[in-house]
Amino acid sequence: MGRKPQKNDSLPGSLDMLILRTLSLRDLHGYGIVQFIQQSSGDELLVEEGSLYPALQRLELNGWIEGDWGVTANNRRARIHKITAAGRKQLAVETKQYAKLTLAIARVMGAE
Amino acid sequence: MTALLRRLKYWFTSSQRSQALREEMELHLAERAAELEADGMPADRARAEARRRFGDVSRKHEESREIWMTRLLPELAQDIRYSLRTMAGNKSFTALAVLSLALGIGANTAIYSLMESILFRSLPVADPESLVVLNWTSQTPQTADKDWVHVVHGVQGTLWPGGKGALVSGMFPYGAFETLREENPVFSTVFGYFNGQKRNLAIRGQAMSASVEYVTGDYFRGLAVAPAAGRLIDSKDDHPSATAVAVISFAISQQRFGGPSNAIGQPILIDKIPFTVVGVAPPEFFGVDPVVSPDLYLPLHTNLLVEGAEAARRYGDDNFYWVEMMGRLHPGVTMAQAQAALGPRFHQWVSATATTDGERAKLPALVLNPGAAGLGSLRREYSKPLFVLLAMVGMILAITCANIANLLLARAAARRREMAVRLSLGAGRFRIVRQLLTESVLLASLGGVFGILFAIWGVQTLTFLFSKGQEDFTLHAELNWSVLAVTAALSVVCGLLFGLVPAIQSTSPDVMPALKNGRGGGPRRRTQQILVVAQIAGSFLILFAAGLFVRTLDNLHSVQLGYARENILLFSLNARQAGHRDPEIATFYTDLRKRFEAIPGVTSASLSHSSILSSGRTRPTISGAMKVGPVAIDGARVMAAGPRFLTNMQIPILAGREIDDRDQPGAPAVAVISERLAQTYFGKENPVGRRITFVEAKRDFEIVGVSANLRNGGLKSGEESAMTVFVALPQISPDGVTYALRTAGDPLRFGRNVREIVREADPNVPVTNVVTQAAEIDRSISREILFARLCAGFAVLALLTACVGLYGTMSYSVAQQVGEIGIRMALGAQRGVVVWMVLRRVLLLAAVGLAISVPAALGGARLLKSLLFGTQPNDPATLILAGVVLLSAAILAGYAPARRASRIDPLVALRRD
Repeated sequence: MGRKPQKNDSLPGSLDMLILRTLSLRDLHGYGIVQFIQQSSGDELLVEEGSLYPALQRLELNGWIEGDWGVTANNRRARIHKITAAGRKQLAVETKQYAKLTLAIARVMGAE
Repeated sequence: MTALLRRLKYWFTSSQRSQALREEMELHLAERAAELEADGMPADRARAEARRRFGDVSRKHEESREIWMTRLLPELAQDIRYSLRTMAGNKSFTALAVLSLALGIGANTAIYSLMESILFRSLPVADPESLVVLNWTSQTPQTADKDWVHVVHGVQGTLWPGGKGALVSGMFPYGAFETLREENPVFSTVFGYFNGQKRNLAIRGQAMSASVEYVTGDYFRGLAVAPAAGRLIDSKDDHPSATAVAVISFAISQQRFGGPSNAIGQPILIDKIPFTVVGVAPPEFFGVDPVVSPDLYLPLHTNLLVEGAEAARRYGDDNFYWVEMMGRLHPGVTMAQAQAALGPRFHQWVSATATTDGERAKLPALVLNPGAAGLGSLRREYSKPLFVLLAMVGMILAITCANIANLLLARAAARRREMAVRLSLGAGRFRIVRQLLTESVLLASLGGVFGILFAIWGVQTLTFLFSKGQEDFTLHAELNWSVLAVTAALSVVCGLLFGLVPAIQSTSPDVMPALKNGRGGGPRRRTQQILVVAQIAGSFLILFAAGLFVRTLDNLHSVQLGYARENILLFSLNARQAGHRDPEIATFYTDLRKRFEAIPGVTSASLSHSSILSSGRTRPTISGAMKVGPVAIDGARVMAAGPRFLTNMQIPILAGREIDDRDQPGAPAVAVISERLAQTYFGKENPVGRRITFVEAKRDFEIVGVSANLRNGGLKSGEESAMTVFVALPQISPDGVTYALRTAGDPLRFGRNVREIVREADPNVPVTNVVTQAAEIDRSISREILFARLCAGFAVLALLTACVGLYGTMSYSVAQQVGEIGIRMALGAQRGVVVWMVLRRVLLLAAVGLAISVPAALGGARLLKSLLFGTQPNDPATLILAGVVLLSAAILAGYAPARRASRIDPLVALRRD
């Protein structure tokens, strides 16, 4: 199934990967994911916050994450997202591809 | 596939998901605003900043919803649109596929709906699952010397064979019914009934022949049936001294009273005995046996009025079996528990009725059967033929599917480039397979729709054929929802079946080279060949079965009857039921015979107690053990015949004279015996002038003649040269009679004259069973006729389908080999060689198909043994004939492509690449 390119990402598809990576560390609700990506990138990566939600739906439809009602750190009712076993596999695949890609780009950029 | 399922689930829970998403987004905005506020931003600016960073909330919401919502349906619609375009672009293929599927699915639907109505449908009563039929089984009553030693001394009803020579029946003595009914711990009700046969029913001075069911007082309560009008029979009515009341069927109430409510309280006469109609049965109710649909339901004890002294004797006779029984289980009681509770009780009762050790050695044992579908006489007769037919139509559908799969494969070859382009442009393989499957399911659904039309016609035809032309046949086969559901499921399964292999193959990764050179397809060709072989094997099976059934019919048609078959009109009267008594009744019948004979166009008329064919089922008023002097006659049938019966039936008279006008009630009693009887019991002596004694009636009949042998009973069951004793009908105080008119031209034309003459003689005597002798005989082999015709049709269909498959495959393979053939021809190969090259492959495929199916045919045909007559299931002539027909058809189908191959111009062929 063809996928639309992510307009707001510097690299196509990387938002999915970032979300999977974030959720592989802990279960979080939507806002928490945005915060985590922002903070752990040293405020370098600014996700367009609204784009998070279509991405979450897509990941859930693929069976890579699951959402369930729970409470946030501030005790508010929210949908908490979890990564599934299939999601971890997908993350591994994407991580490998990403490493290949950055290596290739680095080579090009480093070439004389 | 799981993604698709999940998508469906999301789609169904869409509004909840949408709500949850909105809540999630609100929370996000609130948390962001709170954080900005904590950093010192004013509240309203913080909210605006949060929104700015988030982007367009409602658009993002819509975008997210789209992920699961919109892509499902539009893709499907797109698939369907695309499929329709492809189908329209390929009209001849589509038409062929839809037509063959319509025939296949339609045939399956028709046969299935027949099965549903005969084998699976429940009685139209409340909670049919808790009904139980009571039967008994015992060893065969006959001893080795063919003497009848059994507690069953007499029976009115049917006995049928169980497994291993056992005997099964549903008839019980009245005493057994009472015993099983008393304080019954497992049944809430036990009710009895028996078939009262045809009776003379007179309503407002108009007589008709009506079928009667005698029922006990709990019958309607036990079946939980509600009346259409009035009330139904209850226990107060079933008593020797109760007023004679009757419940009539809904149809009779409409035909004779103009509606159910008009019938209540009306007087009717049954065999001249007055009854009062108290109620009308509901329209859908047909009693407990789907074969007989009673016109009248009478309390059991009213048989004392209708049948007289003989009926009275039966109530007290514990060795006469005549009442059938059903019970309704208490809630929560299983059939096994009921069996355990009642088996010993019946055993104890029946033990007391045995008087000798021989009888005690084989007492009947109670057997309970499920009663939800009513009695099983139709099921017993037809379950096997129906399964055989279903297997055949199933096979036809399989052949059709294989054929369409084959055509799709050939077409996939043409679409290979298209597929390759789509795959390389990034279309998912699953998406393309899905699209192709949509196409084939759509094709199959179209086939299913047309198939239903075909099935409507098929069901009507089959019901007509199954009914054996009986007017009161009550099989209500119809296309109800359960049948249509099966058809729909069948169509989808077919679509997936014939679509899957081509879809998977045409999208397999090895199609990529197709982009480069547009050639290839090794595995596809193998699949095609496997499909063709399967079609040939399947067709052969059907062809062989058809051959066996046609031969069976042929054998039946050539059976020697020993009497005339054509130009004879048969019909029955029963004057005794209309009040005629001895000795006037004999004169009444004789006078009628003379008047029939006077009809212009009727050359002669005779009468007998029944037609020759059904003389086994209907016994004359005199029967039982016969003796010639001290020697008992074994296995002879008695026919009561009027004057010149033998001449009329064209049965030769070998010695003496036949029964004629001299043989009247006052004159000496006479009989004519058949040749085999004369040879068996008189040897070389002349039997004329000797006597036959009827032991029970204590009457002697003087033998006045010897007739040639004739076949009695049906064509299959009857003996070819049975022993027959003809007695003079006027001398034995006859009941009902059957007249036979020998006519010039179509016998049925005279039906009107006959009815007029009978009405003039006595309007209270209805004329029944008007049929030609030929039709009555054919009726007895209607199943064989049905099978021969259906199977011949199926065989043609299967053969045609297989030929189309073969033709398609060979054409495709010739097209693939144009280059090779071109080279061969350029190198000097003769046309004949090329033709042979192609035909050899055809024959090889056919031979492989035959090699697979001949053993299967020989194995499977053994199951048909009981349906065949005069031919063995492994009949070599039929096997060879079927093989020859198949091979000829294969060569015919292969010849066109072979010829085309031989016409290939080497120059053109070689330039193509």
